[in-house]
Amino acid sequence: MNIFPGRIVPSMALVAGSLLASANAKPIAFAEGTTVMAEYGAGTMTEIQAFYAPTFRYSVGGGHLSLNSDVDESTRDITYARLNYLPKRWNLESAQANVFVWGSIGRAHLGETGDNQFAWNAGGQLDYETRRIYGSLRTDFHEASAYNHRIDTLQLGVAPYEHDYETLAVWFVLQARDYTGGLFDGTEWAALIRLFKHNAWLEAGVTQEGKLQAMLMFNF
Amino acid sequence: MKTLKLLVAISLIATASAQAGTIEMTVNGLVCGFCAQGIEKTFRKNPATADVLVSLENRLVAIATKEGTDISDAELRQALKSAGYDVKAIERTDNSIDALRSKIRATK
Repeated sequence: MNIFPGRIVPSMALVAGSLLASANAKPIAFAEGTTVMAEYGAGTMTEIQAFYAPTFRYSVGGGHLSLNSDVDESTRDITYARLNYLPKRWNLESAQANVFVWGSIGRAHLGETGDNQFAWNAGGQLDYETRRIYGSLRTDFHEASAYNHRIDTLQLGVAPYEHDYETLAVWFVLQARDYTGGLFDGTEWAALIRLFKHNAWLEAGVTQEGKLQAMLMFNF
Repeated sequence: MKTLKLLVAISLIATASAQAGTIEMTVNGLVCGFCAQGIEKTFRKNPATADVLVSLENRLVAIATKEGTDISDAELRQALKSAGYDVKAIERTDNSIDALRSKIRATK
């Protein structure tokens, strides 16, 4: 299986290039803010997304998700329009917790048959962070007439020091990801380092199989 | 002599009005740089804002206002609520933003 599927590399390069040229990832960053994200998930999933948030409660935008089965030769390329919503936020003295939900509709191209189908998606995320610890649980369900897949991701992070706005934030993150629907057998584990400052975020690491797991995010 | 006194008086009034105030707010939920970025962006759009300082460590959002201007408490609370954060306290002080920056750096 290709580590970098050919059709995704140009998109990632474009996003990375624009990020480096201007400078910043969560579905809603802040009111009147634009978020651009690109994630490479060890060859099994690759996703690029761009959202604009009119308020801190919701954002609209779109993305492209490429799923490449680690079990067989099946592939899905899903292009979608998405609505993200923040139904609940807890602002604590030195912590914040959020519940995000989202839904999307789009078109899926099936590599093994060449068919194009209507596709939809629904997902959610629960996260909690202080300046020292971070945890998030995310679930993403994708369906078309030919398939359904669920991707569940758990991340736990710890920071070696408490960052401030003007300093670089460093996080060590352990990620567990589970795919259903014939994408990957078992749970995929990854050890990551996350760096962010101002509006730019980079997360990179390796899975238990030594494959690259990476994410770029910019907010502006 | 009268002219001199008038010039001194005008000078004193001008100096007093040039000393813009600083609004210091204690905010809950400030834990990441993206939070700070959104808040800074919100307040920089306000025409009364001269400078903004956000400190996660101190849960502080400080705004230096331009001379002769102010931002009401209601407007400050609404702006932070619209940005997704909770204000716990608002205080008007004589600290300059530069002095606050220096104080924050010194405590690290």
